[in-house]
Amino acid sequence: MVTAEKRAELKATDASLIDRIVQRDESALAALYDRYAGMLSSVLNRILRDTQAAEEILQDIFYQLWRNAAQFDASRGSLSGWLLVIARNRAISRLRRHNPASGDELNENTVVVASNLESSVAQQQLMTKVKSALDNLPKEQRAAIELAYFEGLTHSEIAQRTGDPLGTVKTRLRSAVETLKRDLHP
Amino acid sequence: MSSEHPTRAEDFDLYALGALDDAERKAFESHVASCADCAEKLAAARGRVAILAFAAPAVVPSPGVKETLMRQVIASAEGPGGSAARVHPGLAADGGVFARWWAALLPVAGAFALATILLWLHNEQLDRQLADLRNTIEQQKQELAETRHQADLIAARETLVIPLWSQKGTPESHAEGHARVLYNAKEGMMTYDGWLPSAPADKSYQLWLVPMNGAPISAGVFNPKNGEMSHMMMKLPPGVTAKEFAVSLEPAGGMPQPTGPMVLVGPTS
Repeated sequence: MVTAEKRAELKATDASLIDRIVQRDESALAALYDRYAGMLSSVLNRILRDTQAAEEILQDIFYQLWRNAAQFDASRGSLSGWLLVIARNRAISRLRRHNPASGDELNENTVVVASNLESSVAQQQLMTKVKSALDNLPKEQRAAIELAYFEGLTHSEIAQRTGDPLGTVKTRLRSAVETLKRDLHP
Repeated sequence: MSSEHPTRAEDFDLYALGALDDAERKAFESHVASCADCAEKLAAARGRVAILAFAAPAVVPSPGVKETLMRQVIASAEGPGGSAARVHPGLAADGGVFARWWAALLPVAGAFALATILLWLHNEQLDRQLADLRNTIEQQKQELAETRHQADLIAARETLVIPLWSQKGTPESHAEGHARVLYNAKEGMMTYDGWLPSAPADKSYQLWLVPMNGAPISAGVFNPKNGEMSHMMMKLPPGVTAKEFAVSLEPAGGMPQPTGPMVLVGPTS
């Protein structure tokens, strides 16, 4: 059964929960975890294909949020976007054995997500929309996008991986980005 | 690119995607670091790229991750300087240790509260029952005292047993009425036991002691329920000797002197 307090947590905005975290309210962190852990877990597992590593990063991200929430400026960007960027960056760093990102990620990565992802319904709707947009891309463009996003490969690395000319890869990625921008952010 | 804006809008998305090679990336970063407009565009591009995460198959993290996280958070909050600033989570917070304690203790506290209320109600009920029992005991003591008095009266040698009967001319409805008076002139005590039909709604029966000299003295007013015997015991005025006892039907509540028909009469000799 969903309690009144739980319903209140579900309705609370990210900004208000961040404020409560700054006030050392653990329940606010728990609420944000419930809201975004699934979303982050999915992308971390997709990149790392290692559940244990994915869960370590997941825990670390939220712990960083707990420690440094006061530095997060909700007026400059969205928390959901920041979480996604940090999760991807850390997972790719782990995957490519790069040094983890510095602790100043909160300020450096201002991310503006057009969609409000504070509800699970909104997240589900966006998932459907994104998958549909990717499915509509030409096969090579989709592959290029996935290599860049989920494996962190640059143009040159993708060209090397696929054996395609660098110019072709650049064109594919640019076209894919244009199409996705048009389809997902009309 | 370091001194000029990126030539294509997609460059922001490609940078956010991490697709630019080193030279392009460094030139882009160099420009964006000093260009507020481009920094703003980059923030939007990061958001557009970030949502590609939703192409990943859904994976739910194991519950242990959250538990470990919250333990870590509690530990940090309870560290040096942490406890003073800490805000305890509400009851709905399912992450904190205190929340879990509350969650565990809440049903116990509820059970205690319910048990306390039930015990209090039970105690109240017992108090009422005890009060009723005390009243009953007092009544029974009085009845016992009356019975003893009556027994003493009956046993006394000088006590007279005086039957009271209906008189000629008494309405037929009262023809079957009868009563008995135990009268002890020495003790100045008398008892009345008798049966009469219920009095009309606006009437009462009244028992009279008719002295040797003087006017009748009221010895009590009664309204017997249908079919039940009436019992009365009373102390008589000192120095009064009864010639007879009588019951009359009077206006409800009785009268100072008899006004209605005598339905039962019994002489002492």
